[in-house]
Amino acid sequence: MTKSTRLVQNLILLVFALYALVPVYLVFLAAIRSEADLFSGPLTLSWPINFANFARIWSEAGFATYFMNSVITAVSVTVLVVLTAPLAGFAFAKMNFRGREVLFGLFLAGLVVPAPSVIVALYGNLQALGLIDNRIGVILPQAALLMPFSVFMMRTVMQDVPDELIEAAVMDGASLFKIFLTIVVPVVKPGLMSLGLITFLFAWQEYLLPLVVFQTESLKPLTVGAASLQGRYGVDYGGIAAAGLIAFAPLVVLFLAMQRSFVRGLTAGAVK
Amino acid sequence: MLTTRSAYLFLAPSLALYLLFVGLPILQVFGFSFFDWDNGIAGDFIGLANYGRLLGDGVFWTALWHNAIWVVLTLAFPLLAGLVIAAILAERNANVVRWLGAIYFIPRTIPLVVAGIIWGWIYNPIFGLLNFGLEAVGLGGLAGAWLAQDNTALLSLNVVGAWTFFGFCVIIYLAAIQSIDPALYEAASIDGASWWRKFRDLTVPLLRGSTLFLGLYAAIEAMRFFDLVWVTTQGGPGYATEVLTTHIYKTFFLVGDFGYAATLSVVLLIIVLSISAGAFALLRKP
Repeated sequence: MTKSTRLVQNLILLVFALYALVPVYLVFLAAIRSEADLFSGPLTLSWPINFANFARIWSEAGFATYFMNSVITAVSVTVLVVLTAPLAGFAFAKMNFRGREVLFGLFLAGLVVPAPSVIVALYGNLQALGLIDNRIGVILPQAALLMPFSVFMMRTVMQDVPDELIEAAVMDGASLFKIFLTIVVPVVKPGLMSLGLITFLFAWQEYLLPLVVFQTESLKPLTVGAASLQGRYGVDYGGIAAAGLIAFAPLVVLFLAMQRSFVRGLTAGAVK
Repeated sequence: MLTTRSAYLFLAPSLALYLLFVGLPILQVFGFSFFDWDNGIAGDFIGLANYGRLLGDGVFWTALWHNAIWVVLTLAFPLLAGLVIAAILAERNANVVRWLGAIYFIPRTIPLVVAGIIWGWIYNPIFGLLNFGLEAVGLGGLAGAWLAQDNTALLSLNVVGAWTFFGFCVIIYLAAIQSIDPALYEAASIDGASWWRKFRDLTVPLLRGSTLFLGLYAAIEAMRFFDLVWVTTQGGPGYATEVLTTHIYKTFFLVGDFGYAATLSVVLLIIVLSISAGAFALLRKP
């Protein structure tokens, strides 16, 4: 590789690293500055860090509640998906049954369904079921919308389980469910971990469903809270920045800590 | 492969959830679109009359045009950037790959609502960093109210969309490049091929599958994205950033026209399903 090629390459890598990080850095900066010097001074970190914005947002603007709501919804959706999708993935990967292709096609089509296009009917259904302004009214549809991706990914993961393992257990007279729990699950644990992480990420990021389902302030998650803050406290930029940081920092930390697992999950459906 | 009826038991929980909260509403939306609605109550069966309204609905065509622009921009910028970055990273050491890969992906972990708020500030005409930066380098004449002007709003929003998406492209392309036989690259190097030649004649053709996957993903997301527009411009100024999803949302929740909102939903569904059917046909071709 010539020196100039290398230089151009490094420049490209750097420019895109800045593109990715500068906005994140700006939010961080705005969140830890006091109102007075928000728009003045150089764009460097001031020391000591000023936590006043976080404290104000956390206690006065209800972000402690929004945060708990995000945790409750995202964890519930994740548990629901991780308990159900692997079973379906196992069936599609390792079992033969009538209607297999059709049912898999049904899930496959669901991969591209836009949430806004089902909301028109879903909203009425949730109303009829009494699930408007109810956590269940977000958790169940959210899990359902994530199901196609999850089943698809689990099928890919389950295909890597050696057939011999399963056949040997069938010979021994073990039930399919027992085989699933004692033989398949241990083998695909990394895949289940990836599924859980990605589901949690998507559930935490969700905006449309909680926006239309929740009316009570004490039920709303961080995404809805952060968006409404923009209107309510139009000039409290430090506060909004702190709110934004609270809304995404857990995800960034989770991703950095579990990067390998995330990447495995993201590429599971794509590369093959 | 086990032939067994217990398969249905394994499928039951996820299938039930999926059919009840996604499958059923899709069928209902189709049904709704053939009726005249009044205050949330179905009135007369009016056949395709709602679909006829599409022809005269200028906002619908504007929205559709914006989605189409968004598809093209997403295919052109983040996908290409992801491909080039992945090809460069493939030859760097593992630590560099891990760190830069993580950095590029961080925006994808940020909820679009928050991404919209952050970038709204960068674009702010009074204190925004973009105008500030342009003035600092003597290009103050280019400064503007990026999200509040007809001619820049959609493009400015697309930069935010690309921001959250290019890191995903890097990761997908990188995984695919790493599965290519290194002997191919070694042979090309021995023949004296330049980096650019290897990129053009080896990497790009061998990554066709990933490109199709990401292309499909990008096109679908471009048709169905909502959060980013809703939290920044709500389709404005005027209709400058109106897309199909915001048109559906407004028609349903603000106007209360159930029949027409359902019709718009059906159109959106048909578009995304057609795009995926087309992409799958391409994927099957060797």
